[in-house]
Amino acid sequence: MSQVKLNTTAPEFELDDLQGNPVKLSDYYGKKNVVLVFNRGFI
Amino acid sequence: MRRDYKLFKDRNSEIIAVGPEGPGQFKSYWQSNDLPFIGLPDPDYSVLKQYGQEVNLFKLGRLPAQVIIDRDGIARYAHYGKSMSDIPSNVELLELLDLINESKLDAVAI
Repeated sequence: MSQVKLNTTAPEFELDDLQGNPVKLSDYYGKKNVVLVFNRGFI
Repeated sequence: MRRDYKLFKDRNSEIIAVGPEGPGQFKSYWQSNDLPFIGLPDPDYSVLKQYGQEVNLFKLGRLPAQVIIDRDGIARYAHYGKSMSDIPSNVELLELLDLINESKLDAVAI
């Protein structure tokens, strides 16, 4: 399991939010901390 | 997390939830639960795989995982649940964010 490596740059990603706008991790650089939550699934 | 969302914002932090559900399912779940934070559908598993949330376990359900990334884009904390209910509390996450925010001050004496 390739868990994310701590104290290194987190992998950049880009996904569309619920309004269809692209969201990139790097959008938050220099601005906010990000708490990334991978949930159990809610279906 | 919805209740404590303001506490996360107070710590200059954004919550982003990622899951392989499709945008439609995400949207209706978000609306019916009135969630204020960001939800990102990842139906291709692209981000899930990059962050190591194991896809094989999908048969048993995905195990929860959380990663805190600071403002420089560095992954500072990661928790991979050993069970479906193995999730750190919001208090724990908020304390970690406090530590991360504090170490950003230049004038910290060691």
